Amino acid sequence: MVIAGIPETLDVIFLFSRGPWWQSLHRTMLRGILGKTFRLVGYTIQYACIAHCAFEYVGGVVMCSGPSMEPTIQNSDIVCAENLSRHFYGIQRGDIVIAKSPSDPKSNICKRVIGLEGDKILTSRPSDFFKSHNYVPTGHVWLEGDNLQNSTDSRYYGPVPYGLIRGRIFFKIWPLSDFGFLRDSPNGHRSPGD
Amino acid sequence: MAQSQGWVTRYFKAFCKGFFVAVPVAVTFLDRVACVARVEGASMQPSLNPGGSQSSDVVLLNHWKVRNFEVQRGDIVSLVSPKNPEQKIIKRVIALEGDIVKTIGHKNRYVKVPRGHIWVEGDHHGHSFDSNSFGPAMNSLKARTTSLVTFEQINSPEICTELLHRAE
Repeated sequence: MVIAGIPETLDVIFLFSRGPWWQSLHRTMLRGILGKTFRLVGYTIQYACIAHCAFEYVGGVVMCSGPSMEPTIQNSDIVCAENLSRHFYGIQRGDIVIAKSPSDPKSNICKRVIGLEGDKILTSRPSDFFKSHNYVPTGHVWLEGDNLQNSTDSRYYGPVPYGLIRGRIFFKIWPLSDFGFLRDSPNGHRSPGD
Repeated sequence: MAQSQGWVTRYFKAFCKGFFVAVPVAVTFLDRVACVARVEGASMQPSLNPGGSQSSDVVLLNHWKVRNFEVQRGDIVSLVSPKNPEQKIIKRVIALEGDIVKTIGHKNRYVKVPRGHIWVEGDHHGHSFDSNSFGPAMNSLKARTTSLVTFEQINSPEICTELLHRAE
């Protein structure tokens, strides 16, 4: 039992002089513990809300896993993402974005934006003789990973609505050998007639 | 002079403390738990906005209920419009992933809803920009907004698009 401070001591003296001693003991302990618990819960809620606002509206640090963005982002790299571009509709071609996965709403994918709405995208493989093109519909973007051989992206599930984009990745902080801003796409420009 | 400066500094500190507590908590509550919205348009008549342009219904959007992206057939949900990311549309869920629907006015007569998608329709057929126009909607678009409870009682009408096959 810990009692600190003058108000608490006075409290104890006051209580002890009123009822049986075990009741007074319970009352003091309970008030102290209850007060501390409420304060802890209050601080937790406050910091959780601040964290939610920061991740939702400003940005945060993300760890990426998977081989679909090699060599730009390797497996288990840690990068910084910012969400301001999404809210101000400033996502451009060549940006690497984090988006909600179209097939599983609880997981996120990390791909590069190849085309915005209205762009003509080359969807045939380079080995095909007849080239086929698709237009990106309004309100959608075309995402592709940098590692074209090993990436399920818009070539598989089609154009992705803009509303699924969560944020833009702009800086890598781990591993330290690769610290700095992210490179351009190694695949060159894929949409003809920009 | 020193006294009035002390007063200003204390006031400023108290304001900052209150501001940084109240604003994040309010924003988080509105994003994650529930918020209030006004419904515009006629695509959900007669359930919502039966009075047309005279009176707009005010609804309570319940974010907490869909935090795991679980909706039932027949729920009214609001989602980010696939055609215009700045807009939110309110429709009813007709079919979930794996179901086959017989559509009204869609380019394919029968559509199987892919994984991670839902089929939404407005109650007022013909006046609704819904899955009959843009195809199955991604479940993740619902993440931005919510499932819905109105202040008045809704009698949910029978589901008009035929649900041909219910996936288990």
